[in-house]
Amino acid sequence: MLSIIHNQRRPIWSASALVLWLIMFCTRPLDAEISSETDVLTGRVRSILESNCFGCHGANKTVRGELHLNTRESLLKGGAHGSVISFTLPENSALLRAIRYENLKMPPDAPLSPEDIAVLTEWVKRGVPWKGGSLEISQNSIRRTAISNEHWAYQPLSSPEVPDSQNGDWIRTPLDHFILTRLEQNGLSPNPRAGKVTWLRRVFFDLTGLPPTPEEVDAFIADETPDAFAKITDRLLSSPQYGEKWARHWLDLVRYAETDGYERDGTKANAWRFRDYVIDAYNQDMPFDQFVIEQLAGDEVNGVDSNTRIATGYYRLGIWDDEPVDPEQAFYDSLDDVVSTTSKVFLAMTLGCSRCHDHKIDPLSQIDYYQVMAFFHNTFQDIRQLKFEKTAFTLNTQTVIASDQEQVQYQIAQERWEKQRMVVDTELQKLESLFLESLPEKDKEASRDEHKQAELLEKVISTRPEAQRKRYEDLKSEIDLLDQNKVTPLPEALTIKENGARAPQTYVLLRGNAHAHGEKVEPAFPDVLGFDKPIFKPVDEEAPSSGRRRVFAEWVAGDENPLTARVIVNRIWQHHFGRGLVRTPNDFGINGARPTHPQLLDWLAGRFIEEGWSIKSLHRMIVLSATYQMSSKDHSQGLAQDPNNNLFWRYDLRRLDAEAIRDAVMSVSGVLNRQQYGPSVYPEIPPAVRAGASRPEDAWGVSTIDQQHRRSIYVFVKRSLMEPLMSAFDLADTDSSCPERFTTVVPTQALTTLNGQFFNQQASFFAQRLRDECGGHTVRQITRGLRLAFGRMPDDTEISQCVEWITKWKKEEGISQDQALLYFCLIVLNLNEFLFVD
Amino acid sequence: MYSDRRPHNTFCGHTRREFFWESGAGFTSLALSGLLGKEFFSEKIPGSESEKSWANPLSPLSPTHVAKARSVIFLFMYGGPSHIDTFDYKPQLYGLDGKTITVDTFGRGGRKSEGRVVGPRWKFHPAGDSGKKVSELFPNLATCVDDIGFIHSMSAESPIHGSAMLMMNSGRLASGYPCLGSWVNYGLGSANENLPGFVVMLDRTGGPISGAKNWTSGFMPASFQGTLLRSQGEPILDLNQPAGMPTGMQRKILNRLQEMNRKHQMQQRNSYSKLGARIASFELAYKMQKHAPEAVDFASEPAHIRQLYGLDNDKTEEFGHKCLLARRLVERGVRFIQVYSGGNHGDSNWDAHGDLVQNHTVHAAATDQPIAGLLKDLKQRGLLEETLVVWGGEFGRQPTAEYETGDGRDHNAYGFTMWMAGGGIRGGVSVGKTDELGSAAVESPFHVRNLHATILHQLGLNPNRLSYFFNGLDEKLVGVEGADPIGQLI
Repeated sequence: MLSIIHNQRRPIWSASALVLWLIMFCTRPLDAEISSETDVLTGRVRSILESNCFGCHGANKTVRGELHLNTRESLLKGGAHGSVISFTLPENSALLRAIRYENLKMPPDAPLSPEDIAVLTEWVKRGVPWKGGSLEISQNSIRRTAISNEHWAYQPLSSPEVPDSQNGDWIRTPLDHFILTRLEQNGLSPNPRAGKVTWLRRVFFDLTGLPPTPEEVDAFIADETPDAFAKITDRLLSSPQYGEKWARHWLDLVRYAETDGYERDGTKANAWRFRDYVIDAYNQDMPFDQFVIEQLAGDEVNGVDSNTRIATGYYRLGIWDDEPVDPEQAFYDSLDDVVSTTSKVFLAMTLGCSRCHDHKIDPLSQIDYYQVMAFFHNTFQDIRQLKFEKTAFTLNTQTVIASDQEQVQYQIAQERWEKQRMVVDTELQKLESLFLESLPEKDKEASRDEHKQAELLEKVISTRPEAQRKRYEDLKSEIDLLDQNKVTPLPEALTIKENGARAPQTYVLLRGNAHAHGEKVEPAFPDVLGFDKPIFKPVDEEAPSSGRRRVFAEWVAGDENPLTARVIVNRIWQHHFGRGLVRTPNDFGINGARPTHPQLLDWLAGRFIEEGWSIKSLHRMIVLSATYQMSSKDHSQGLAQDPNNNLFWRYDLRRLDAEAIRDAVMSVSGVLNRQQYGPSVYPEIPPAVRAGASRPEDAWGVSTIDQQHRRSIYVFVKRSLMEPLMSAFDLADTDSSCPERFTTVVPTQALTTLNGQFFNQQASFFAQRLRDECGGHTVRQITRGLRLAFGRMPDDTEISQCVEWITKWKKEEGISQDQALLYFCLIVLNLNEFLFVD
Repeated sequence: MYSDRRPHNTFCGHTRREFFWESGAGFTSLALSGLLGKEFFSEKIPGSESEKSWANPLSPLSPTHVAKARSVIFLFMYGGPSHIDTFDYKPQLYGLDGKTITVDTFGRGGRKSEGRVVGPRWKFHPAGDSGKKVSELFPNLATCVDDIGFIHSMSAESPIHGSAMLMMNSGRLASGYPCLGSWVNYGLGSANENLPGFVVMLDRTGGPISGAKNWTSGFMPASFQGTLLRSQGEPILDLNQPAGMPTGMQRKILNRLQEMNRKHQMQQRNSYSKLGARIASFELAYKMQKHAPEAVDFASEPAHIRQLYGLDNDKTEEFGHKCLLARRLVERGVRFIQVYSGGNHGDSNWDAHGDLVQNHTVHAAATDQPIAGLLKDLKQRGLLEETLVVWGGEFGRQPTAEYETGDGRDHNAYGFTMWMAGGGIRGGVSVGKTDELGSAAVESPFHVRNLHATILHQLGLNPNRLSYFFNGLDEKLVGVEGADPIGQLI
């Protein structure tokens, strides 16, 4: 077959041979041959276009009908009459119609030969594969060698000496030397230390996402021992609230949501177990390298257990179309979600940009992309084999997580239950047939229809003897009772499962098109980092997975990987200081920002690895540093010389995140429910927001008030209906990895916090709390209210002013004391001093 | 003709992204920062910014070339109206009714290669000077055809509602991308800071499939996302003061709040523009409370105008209300208004799988007069010239029956009709063709991207240049492929 196309003598094809050729070509399964076939095909297409079309539609600046056919982009763009290629209905592509002389007559002089038309038709059907990818790749590799030798992020970690800075008194932890030296070099001095209360509020929000209580503030002020700061730090790091705060940052990165998105936005059952796993991992200070390996290959590690399986839910969190228009493309979209997310989250590499072509900026080729994809290629079931009701995701994502003993117990109980039910059911059915037998002939016939049976039974039952009737009723209620007391199913988790030991062959997809296979590739690490080819242990034919991801995971988490430790250390720094040492936390590439303190970054990363990848130890060093303890106040010299605070001459003030706002409000109002873990909860949302869903009545669940007051990390994350209050305060977009939240300021936020139900309801809880704790004493109420919100003690003027307002409002507006207190509380919850952290 | 909206000194408009992170986003218009580049930004960040120098992220911007349109009203016929029963006249199809023919179709029922023809269920009559043939479903709209440019050769990539809706609204089958309205506001800002710049009005039966994904700002900040506006009741979420609050109380609360917030900022926090921004946002919210109810209050609309939109008729009242509101929003400078006809699932929208006649009769009757009224009202006020009205659904419908019996039609993304009016669009013109069955676009096929490109172009934005840097890519509404406006219409 191939020889026919190769044949220079252009054999004259009979129509039947042509059809035969096309059928063979079109129905061939995608296999190893296809890339070379495609190569041949594209080569042939090129020669047809060159000899027949480029004269008028080539690379010249002005061409007929503004249609250039010399590049794939221009071909797809079409000309003055619109697009010429249709992927949805390839045969109808204007290009093909034109060469078939249907609408236009192209080429105008004489039609192409039937075989040329057949070749072009086949080529269009295959998604117009275009040769030239390999050319670009080779150009890129030339550029790559130059870049990889110098770009900072691809170099091994350096081990910088801690510099000597002059003002030794200022230093609290070694990292301060790095900061201070740079400030001194630039003639800047660090801001003075923030007050004790300011630091306390800062560290409370930073480590737990909640404000300190006035009692906690008092105790800290009273503690004058030298290790007062360290004691609080350790206490917060070991509180359960620590994991609830820091897990949220990780969930943003791994695009955590509990639904699939798209048309049905179906629920991802048990996704919340992944959320709980992350909370636990942070709380236990799980070494970060282990955390990485469990998420990427928890099903392939030694000692697989429930938790490591739950960790692999990581793969399943992304958007997923359960009714894709092009299932094959959708299959690769799912893989792309994994490649893009994984490379950004763990390596700060934008490898996703190389899906369709070589990376425009970074030395990452299209081949790199598909080599990395090959590690994951076996993780999604091929959706093409499945009807959409039973899709790859729903079929293959849930795993029972229970001990062997629990599984045995379950099985015994289940069998017992089934047996019991069968016994009762058998007797019941016998009795029913007996009843139906007694029906008149015409009804007997009708009773074969299941729908009518119940009705007829009802009718006949009254005619049966008392004893039979009673027995029948008893059996019915026995069945009901059994059905109500089913054996509790074993817990399941959202996990990954590979399709057996053999991974499919991976190909480069030309222009990212799932239907256009290019060259074969094998799993390999991005070339620019200069690692040897991965070595895979041979796996048993019967093994549940290929073992590829474990190799990838161990490479990511290996001490030699120049990126992993830098990336996570940068993220931890980012969430303490409002920005990373590298300001683009998901992109350490050429296009990303350079580290403002490269030596500090490397030193922190090196130390992080030495200390067993302990995140808590990193937190401790950061929050106890003088750098972290600086005041956030303005300083004219700093502002003049370094307005962006690149050098960290002060601690930057920042607004609380959406979750922290909601949690802090409930904490201050006294209703926060600190219950941990479990299925997500549904705070009430306004009907007006639900109206946006296509089924408003079923759009959102119901939780008790008590459950609605759980911390925000436990709120259900529904892609098509995000909780509106938090959404207004810049919740992460869940469709791709979110490295950093926006901080927008728009008038609708003010409407939410002034008029919205949540804030007003919380203000009334807050007012009630003040009455409960301070009786009817206005001054005490005000003082307590401000303290709860600010942490610090309000000064006398502030208190007397507020008291004055309350008196005035009562007089001028004729409102009650309670109402006035409510409005005071509403003001407090809206204050910048409450919603921002110094 | 176009100016380059990308900064010249860097690749991919990277400075805009940096600007973004460094500023914490939202204090100066993003698109503006893209135009002005890094230098502008580093001048803006220094320490003296107070609330006065805060700029609303939606503050107006100049288009890159002379704009024909100032605002867009997108009348979204959710569910997919049948083009061959509305505006795409297929005379041969009547005679084929009931016959089984060979035709490639792709709908929710999968790919088929033959089917039983359902002839058009309505007659078509020539209308206007152009003689454009319009189905009896739209007797009122028929009187406006000389102002309308029809595109009969639309094609989309998906015949499935969810992804097709995303494609029509955001240009992609995948979710996570900003919607057309977000791009318009990103490019142009809003001309009225007292109202949102991207407004969505839903059907009373509910939102479309995928809900808020249809007006999301995707990877752009939330300031560019669509705001739901209700024509009755509280127009914008949380616009009304809480129940029981005395009339003058809110201003007093605001005064005290602002006083305390200012004092807080004065304590050596003046350099933090976010604090000032938040103070300013409260004043804007206060103004919005005044202006939004005024915008939705029809008290000043005379009886003949209400009639024009069909407010005096039960069938047309709901959609008419939204059309009239759309005109009032256009008058007030709202940039992008999307009005949904149909919501929820099944026959609550144009998704006529079952009884085609009943479904389309209901939805056409609900919208015909209001849309005609809107076009006429805009025209008589001289607003049609600067307002681009777009009509259409996420796809069209097949010429063949979906089931063994009945006249229900399945989805058809291979070919369908959309139309545009005003905003510099040539009226009385029809471009492109579907085949004689109406099954697929065959002459001058236009992709959804071409439609988007045309809309952006009419607003004075270059569709192939308007970009937003995200995830290492210069993202555009029209994608990496790019797309040109539909030349025959402009």
